[in-house]
Formats: sequence, structure tokens, C-alpha cells
Amino acid sequence: MKLCEFIRPESLAQARAALRKLGPKGLPLAGGTALHFMPGKTPVTAVDLTGLGLSYIRQKGAFFEIGAATPLADIQRHRGPRWAMHEICRRISTHQIRNVSTIGGNICRVFPWADLPVVLLAMNAKMVIYSGKLKEMGADEYFSSQPARLFRGGDLLAAVKIPVLKAHHGFGSVKAARNAAAFSMVTIAALLEVNDGRIAAARVAAGSAIPFPRRLPSVEAALTGKEPSAGVFRAAASLAGNDARWCGQEGMSAEYVANLAEVSIVDALERAAEFARGRTE
Amino acid sequence: MKRHELARHLKQVNTSVTKIDALQLALGKDSYVADFLPKDALVIKMLWSPHAHARIKKLDVSKAEKMPGVKCVLWHGNVPRIVHCTAGQGYPEPSPYDTFMFDTKVRFVGDRVAAVAAETEEQALAALEAIKVEYEVLKPVFTLDEAMAPGAPVIHDEPEAHVPIPIVYEPKKNLVAHVACEAGSFERGMKEADFTFDETYETPYAQHCPIEPYTSMAQMTPAGRILITTSTQVPFHCRRIVARTLGIPVQKIRVVKPRIGGGFGCKQEVLLEDVTAMMALRTGRPCLWRFTREETFRTGRTRHPFRIRLRTGVKKDGTITAIGLECINNTGAYGGHGLTVVSCSGGKTLPLYHCDNILFDGKSYYTNLPVGGAYRGFGATQAFFAIESLMDHMAEAIGMDPLKFRQLNHIRPGEGSPIFQALGEGREGLPMTVGSNALAECIVQGAEAAGWEKRQDWRKKTGRYRRGIGMCCLMQGSSIPDIDMGAATIKINEDGSFNLNVGATDLGTGSDTVLAQIAAEELETTTDKMIVYSSDTDMTPFDVGAYASSTTYLSGEAVRKAAADAKRQILATGAEMLGLKAEEVHCEDAHVLNADGSKKVSYSDIANYSLYQKNQYQIIGTASHITKKSPPPFAAHFAEVEVDTLTGFVKVLNYVSTIDCGTAVNPALCEGQTEGGTLNGISYALTEQYLFDETGRMRNASFADYHIYSMRDRPPIKAILVPSYEDTGPFGAKSVSEICINGPAPAIGNAIYNATGARLNEFPFTPEKVLKAIKAVKK
Amino acid sequence: MKTHTCTVSFTLNGEKKTFSTRPDEKLLDLLRREGYKGTKYGCGQGTCGACTVIMDGRAVYACLLYAMQAEGRKVRTIESMGTHDKPAPIQRELVAAGAVQCGYCIPGIIMSATALMEAEKDITDEVAREYMDGNLCRCTGYEKIWTALRRTIANRAAATPAKKTSAKGGKK
Repeated sequence: MKLCEFIRPESLAQARAALRKLGPKGLPLAGGTALHFMPGKTPVTAVDLTGLGLSYIRQKGAFFEIGAATPLADIQRHRGPRWAMHEICRRISTHQIRNVSTIGGNICRVFPWADLPVVLLAMNAKMVIYSGKLKEMGADEYFSSQPARLFRGGDLLAAVKIPVLKAHHGFGSVKAARNAAAFSMVTIAALLEVNDGRIAAARVAAGSAIPFPRRLPSVEAALTGKEPSAGVFRAAASLAGNDARWCGQEGMSAEYVANLAEVSIVDALERAAEFARGRTE
Repeated sequence: MKRHELARHLKQVNTSVTKIDALQLALGKDSYVADFLPKDALVIKMLWSPHAHARIKKLDVSKAEKMPGVKCVLWHGNVPRIVHCTAGQGYPEPSPYDTFMFDTKVRFVGDRVAAVAAETEEQALAALEAIKVEYEVLKPVFTLDEAMAPGAPVIHDEPEAHVPIPIVYEPKKNLVAHVACEAGSFERGMKEADFTFDETYETPYAQHCPIEPYTSMAQMTPAGRILITTSTQVPFHCRRIVARTLGIPVQKIRVVKPRIGGGFGCKQEVLLEDVTAMMALRTGRPCLWRFTREETFRTGRTRHPFRIRLRTGVKKDGTITAIGLECINNTGAYGGHGLTVVSCSGGKTLPLYHCDNILFDGKSYYTNLPVGGAYRGFGATQAFFAIESLMDHMAEAIGMDPLKFRQLNHIRPGEGSPIFQALGEGREGLPMTVGSNALAECIVQGAEAAGWEKRQDWRKKTGRYRRGIGMCCLMQGSSIPDIDMGAATIKINEDGSFNLNVGATDLGTGSDTVLAQIAAEELETTTDKMIVYSSDTDMTPFDVGAYASSTTYLSGEAVRKAAADAKRQILATGAEMLGLKAEEVHCEDAHVLNADGSKKVSYSDIANYSLYQKNQYQIIGTASHITKKSPPPFAAHFAEVEVDTLTGFVKVLNYVSTIDCGTAVNPALCEGQTEGGTLNGISYALTEQYLFDETGRMRNASFADYHIYSMRDRPPIKAILVPSYEDTGPFGAKSVSEICINGPAPAIGNAIYNATGARLNEFPFTPEKVLKAIKAVKK
Repeated sequence: MKTHTCTVSFTLNGEKKTFSTRPDEKLLDLLRREGYKGTKYGCGQGTCGACTVIMDGRAVYACLLYAMQAEGRKVRTIESMGTHDKPAPIQRELVAAGAVQCGYCIPGIIMSATALMEAEKDITDEVAREYMDGNLCRCTGYEKIWTALRRTIANRAAATPAKKTSAKGGKK
């Protein structure tokens, strides 16, 4: 990508109109850190999204709403009861990247190593897409394939809505990486609802060690209705290979990565269960 | 920090004087090569080979030459074909001359093909794309086994390749070097042993990762000479080698090193300056060539990977009866440092322990991979992984604590080793007995700081996360005796300040400061009176440059002698001014005074007198130095780790690096060197690696994929300076900067064993390797 | 589509400036071209931190940002920090601790440390490490940088007058 022009629309509608007009020659630009992974000399016009008021974190009823142009650093710093987004954000890249890279930039075009899609899948987040008007799309549909497909016509991501963690729900994530700043070797996120000593519902997602982030339905099925014990977790994790085609990473083999993924799934489930146990309201 | 008895009287040396350039650098003032860019400078870009092994059948630069902004294109057809060696070493180099500015053959992915100088980077890159190359792809050689196989492709088949001194060199077999020696009888020693061992170890590639990438600038001076301002460790070798490759006299070239952003050995190489200079010469314009980070990984020099077969014999009482060390290094596509690195792998390690029967065999081979260069530790790093891993193994076999086993066997002060004479660098070394040696104390202090006594056998450990402590002992050298030379000049100014001009090269190591302290100590004045100017081939006297842990021990002694020379003149003039004889006066606190202090005159008075008033002359001292021995610094390292036995991830919890560097001229800088080298060694042991694709291309050429530690990853590192006093070094100093990087791989390896019972014979200790080794452990 | 020159206006080290630039010019290149050479090129890829500047109070990589992204913002570079006669506290401490070896990473480190101290009040080790995790150093092992940073933070905390502990009764 080679920036040949820079325009600064003043509203979502203006931004969408500009992108529709530019077509493949238009590039929505928030932090711009992803541009580094899009080499080449295709000339594009940058459509700056940072002046549209899309940087915010608010609680609205049963959801936290995060503006699409909110930097990861702000999400990392935000605290509150029933909020769990900071844990994964503090582990993404480095401080300077987190200050500039936005949640929207991380999920509008998903790269294989992305952590946020995994977390949003587990949390059953909703994406708010602007196509002239605002409409919501659940994470399962949004991440069913490369989300960039949704934005080719000039539509824009406006916000991400994350359900407030309800009582008896716990969230846990694990990111296995060589160093603090390194891309993930495997990212696992799990949301458990534990009622009366049984797992009432489970959403488990994986990313990085597979070509595209996804949920692990075999693992989820093996958890539902069971007690949240180490043995149950291990048995469920061992089924992950039914859903995920693990890839070698960092010069390590796919067999090793599969092993790492299974251990990470158990760890994420332990964390989620621990979190759920402590949350009675 | 306790001072050694003999260092107690020192005033400037053995003090943590503020580093002379620290504030300038902290303020962000113009300091580095790229900061001095003239407005009309051209940008140089290089077309790199995409093939690991190929002949260039056709190269057409005609379209590129005509493109907008392009001022010059260089390729094999329009530059002199002069064979040389890029390694920065003494002359004639103990290395093959196997490199051309541009050749008709490419030998690794990242080798030079053609270069463009243009007004802007964009124009230069566009011109590269217009260069048409036709390659005849040849079968590549990617491993030592492939290189050594009979009938292997010959990487250097050019008739010009040769060695300038009588050393072994067989390019038809891809053999770059072979050195061997024996003391006593290895075979007999093995027979005397109660336990024998035969292990093979592999050590990996690494890149130095200086935060400033390779950067070089050249411009024509009004007098028609070429001024090269470059990020180099070896300004004088650079001048000589550029003169050779351009076919012009040394007199026409001036090389200046400003501040540089790290080197660690990778800039002990003339990798950019020949092209930069040629471009300036051809265009008449200043030309800047700065490697990108990616180019620094692919084309920059690397650490030599080694395969090491180590055989040893040990008796039940702890006597080591035999050591057989066979080292083979992979020097990549060009052979500059192949011989010297493999020589040091034996020469700087084998003297560490008593043994009557030592066999060493060292070889270096070409492959079609990135080029091994000088990297802090220089072969000793790799060999110590093998030796110090096996030491633990031997200790266990005889039921001895590995610390006590080392205490029993290490070299003592006053002892020698046949290896010192047998293994130099390219020629025989010098016989030597070790003078200063505080290794015993290093071990004791390090063990205490690391909590060695709480160490438990791995069989007692349970749970998912297991902790262990490992140690190692180390040595290195200080300078290359009889081969390397450094010189200094020092002159006085009216206010009692001095200009100290040295060829010695400060890479950020602080040598300007350290040398100023030595001069000030000798001259009985203070370090802040020194104005240091270094590394300018026109203005400063010769120095080989920063490598082989020489700067303090070799250049420092040249500085001390130059200061002593100036001091004699100061005393003579001071005596004259006081109406006394030279024997009746001495120097103290920047004054010349008589025995009872009743008559005195200041350096400033002496300067004014001698410069302006009577019998005028410039007080100026000059001296050169070559060393007669290479006194080893010693160290004992201790690593505490935690291993996740389910994933194989290893975390370093704590690290202790003790160091005997003789007198620490500047203790804070010595600690800084030790802390920095240690952390580099830790990531070398755990996370750094070169991943290649099937074409021989290094595929993780960025900090995102090649992992070095940040402030968030770092374990606490405690550097402990253990004083000794080296009589042959300036005010008792030896050296400090290389030895520390040798410790982490073996110390961490031994700690992993202590945590889990898993032994690893290769690193980096990736989680996969660690997990595999854990699973293979038999209780 | 040709790339044309354009202008960008932002506050640089406290002064409103307008520069000519191109849409594809990175902020790092603009700064160095305009004489602000304390900000360094170490990788050009947003991985080493040698190019760190502060933009609207946040530490950012100048090599990843386009100059146009600075429009209307406040940018601070190392040149805004101290002088030979009056170095900033973090500069003084780094020098005194022996933390400056080759110095190439140091301007970036100073900017990240400054952003940390201006954004956070009670700075735990964990928070400090997170703010500093994007600045690589190969020379020092970070030990003395860390010492200098903690000392600067502690000195600043000691210099801040103590707040009243309670609204009711009890003077401090």
C-alpha cells in the first residue's frame, strides 16, 4: 500500500461516502499499524477515521460499548466490575503499538496472529457496523470468515459491544508467546457459566496456531453439563484437534503446538472457572 | 565494591567516573553517522541475491542507469575485480581472500548483486527493480554435512581465492580452516579414566542486533580525498581494505568513526564502506548507505554455528584425565573469521581446567548461508556450552557437587597451560602463566548470591513448575599478544587540560572514558581534564580497533605509556621553573612539587610557560604498545530457572554474573558490560534463532520474529565485580566485555537439568526441545 | 495515481509548525529531515523503539506513523527535554547511573519514561515495565536504565508535597 492522498471526513456518513467512491483505492485508517503488514505499491487514499468520535468505552445496560477507533491502551487501562478486556490487551505487542493500534484495526482485517477475535468470539461480542445506518452482527457470524469482506463496499465498523459479565460467568484467556512482545503461538479464550457446580454453558475459542480464529465446538460440547474439574478440562481439551488444524510456529512442530494448545485450553478453563466461582452477583 | 589492595591508592582508575559522552547522547545531540548527513547526499541501495548459490549469467543495468534521480550503478562489470577479505583484523589477515566488491557468483541469499546511488530512497529502490539479472542456479550447500560430503558443490571455485599466510585452506573441499594440537596423550588420558564421555553439541546462529543498523557515509573532500564516516569497530582496517578494493592509495582515504549505536563484533567488518566510497568517488556526491533492519539480519554478520564433539575422561577423585575437543564451525558464504573463531573455541577455553592430556581439532567450512563474523565471545561462547554442560555431567557421574568439581580443577594463579602456546589466532600463541586470577573467589561470591546451598536434586522435585539452579565457570582473553598494536598521543593545553588522541574505538563501551581515566591516573590529574578524540585515521595514531577484548589492556597501556611520556616532560619543565633537578620533584594533584611541598607549580603554569614563555615546546607524549600475554578474565555464573513441565517454557528467575576483570577501571561501566552481555547470552540461550526456508533465505528477519529481551522480559541480573590485580595491565586491568556472554547457555542448561533431569545438547532451549527432553528423562 | 506534496501542521515541542510533506512520508523521516535528529531509525518497523516520540501525551513509534497523522496534534521529541546545563531529571539519573552505553536507544527510552511519569501517579514495577516494553536495548541489559527510572520516579514522588490524609480532624 502506498498512501497517495489523505482525507479527513467529519462524520461516519462522510467517511462511508468517501470509501464507497474510492472503492479499492480507498483505505480506512485508524492507527495505521496494520499497514505495515500490507506491503506493495498499490496507490491508495487514506480515509482518516480518528476524527469521528469513535474512541470511547461506555457501559450501556448489559453491554460495554467500545468505539471502533479506541486504542488498545485505553482498553488495557479501563477497569470495572464485570469487565475483562484489559487482560488480553496488556499482552498485545508493545506500549507504543497499544497507544495507536485500535480495536477496529485489529478486527476489520484479521491477521492469523490476532488475539482480539479469539477473545470476542469467546465473549460472544457484537460488532456494530455502519452501512448508512447501524446494525449489529454477532461474533460467530462476523468471524465466520475474513471480516474484511464486510467492509469492501465502504461500510465501517463503528463499535464493539461486549456483554457485561453476568453472575456465575467467568472469563479466562491464555496467550503463549516467546516474549512479552512476540506474536502469539497460541491464544485461547474461554467463557464459562457455572451453576450449581456444573458448567451450564461454555464458549471456547482459539487463534494464532490455526489459519483463522474459531470456536472449538467439540471442546465446548465436552464441557457442557459437566463439573468444572481438571479432569473434565483435560478430556475436553484433548478433543480440540477435531476442530482445529494446528500449525507449526516459530520453528516448532505442529505436534508441539497441538500439545501447547491443549495445555493452554486447560489453563484458560481453570482461569475462567476460578473467575466464575468468585462471582455470585 | 571492595578494592584490591594494590588498587587502593588509585584516584581516577577504579572509580565510576561519569561516561564522557553520556549527557550528549541523553540529550539526543547529533552523534551518529546518519546525523551528519549533508543535504545533497545520495542514497545507496543494494540489489541482493535471491539465490543461495548461483552464477550471474547476465546483468543488465542499462535501464536502471537512466531512471530518474539515479547517479550511479555499480556491478561486477564496472568495478575492479580485486580479491580481499572483509574481516577487520591485522594484516596480512589470517583469513581467505575470497570476496570481491561485486562478483559473477552469488553465494548466499543476501549476497551483493548490484548497487544504485540515487537522489531519494524511492528512486534507488525503483532503479533496483529495473535491473535485469539472469542466474544459473547451482546446487546449494546448507549444512556442515553437505559441505563436507565428497563431491559437494564447491562454493569458492574462483581462481583468485587464496590465503595470504601459510595456513590450511582447501576451498575445493569447502574447508576454510583447520587447526589442531595435542598436549600429552589424549588416548592415554582416556584409558586412565574411571568414566569416559562422548557428547556432541550444536550451537545456533545469532545476530548481534545493534540498535543502530550498519550505516556508512562517504564524501569527497575539497582536496579530492575520500572521507568515510562510518559505524565501524575497525577504522584503520577499514581504510586499508577500502584502499585495496578500490585500487587507490591509503593516503587518499580518511576514515572517521563518530559515536556508534553498538557493534558487539558485527561491525568488525568492512561490509559497506567499499561501495559507499566507490559511489562517492564516481558521483562526486556524498553517499549514505544504511542497512535496513532486515538487511542487518540477512546480510549482516552472524555468530558462527558450531558442531562440537567433546570427549572427556574423569577419575573418581575428580581428576580430569583427558579432554578431546573437536569443533567444526559453519562460516557461511565467506571465510573472514572462520579460522580465528575456531581457534579461540579451543584457545580461550581449554586452559580453564587442569588436564595433562588435551586434544584439540578445529575446522571451519563454507556453506551457502549468512556469513559468520566476529561476535562477542568469538568461539569461546560456543565451546563453553559444551564444556560447561559436560562438567556437570562428569560431576554427577562421580557423585560430586558440580561446584566443588570445578573448584577442584580450575586453573590457579601462577599456573600455565600448554594450550596458550599451542593455539593462537592464525599462528602459534605465546606461552603464558596466569597472573591475576580471582576465579576461586568468584565462585564463592556467586554461589552465595545465588543461593547455591539451597539447591536440591531434580529427583526430589514435583509439580508442574519446577525450579533449578545451574552454574558455569568461564575465561576469555585480553588482546592478541604480539599481533595487535595500539597507540596514543597526549598533549597539554594552557589550562592544564589535555587532548588525548587514540585510535582505539569506542562502540558505546565507554573506552573513551576508560582511556581518559588511565591517562589522568598516570598524569596525576583528573579525568575531566581529558579531551578525548578517537578513531580518526588522519588525526589519531593507529589502533587495531575494538575486538579481542583489547581496548583496556592493550590500548589502555599505550595511553598509560603516552601519559608517562608527557609526564616526564612536565616534570622536566616543572623542575626548570622551580630551579630544581628533575629527580627532586614529583607530580601530585595536577602540580609539580618538591618533596616537602614547599615549592610547587601547576600544570596550567607549566603549560603557559612551555607554550609561550621560555624554551618553548609542546609537551606531547606518544607511545605504542603490543602485549606479550593475553591474561584471562575469569567469571562464575549462576542461573536460577523455572520450567513449566507441561509446555517446556523456561523462565529465568535470577542470574548472578561474577567477574574478575583485574582492576575495574570504571566499575559502573564494567557492571554495564557484564549486565548487557549476560542478557544477550540469556536470549541467545532461550529465544534467538535463525529460521531458514528451503531456498536458504532467513525468514524471521525482524525484531517481531527474532526475539531479544525487552524491559518486560528481563530477569534481574546481578553483576559482582571481584577484584584482582593484573601486573601486566594498566593499573592492574584485564578485560571485561566478552566473557559475560559465554555463561548463560551452559548455566541455564545446567539449571534446566537441575530442575527436571533433562539434558539438552543444543540450544536455543525452545519449549519444544525442553519438553521433548523432559519426556525422555528416566528416573 | 501520483503522490503529491501536501502540508501538515502540528505543535512540535511547544511550537506550532507547518511542514511540507507527502502522504506517504513517515513522521520519523519528516522529523529527521527537518533537523530533529535525536529521534533514531533502528528498524523502521515499529519494533525497537529508537524512534519513540510523544504524541498527545502517548508514546508512539514515529516510524510507523505517517506525518499526516500528526495533523493538529502535539508532538514532543527528545529535543524538548533538557540541555547541557539543565538536563531533565530522567536524563540526569540515566547519566549518573551509568545507564548510557552506546546511547542509541536512550532518546526513545527517555520519551517513553516521560510519557509514563506524566500519565501515571503511583507507578508500580508492573506498570513501569508495561510502559517501557517497546524500547529495546542491546547494550545494557536494562539494569541501570531500570535503576535510573525508579530513582527518577522516587525523587519525583518525594518532591511532591504530601496530601492531607483525612478530611475530618487529624492534621498531617
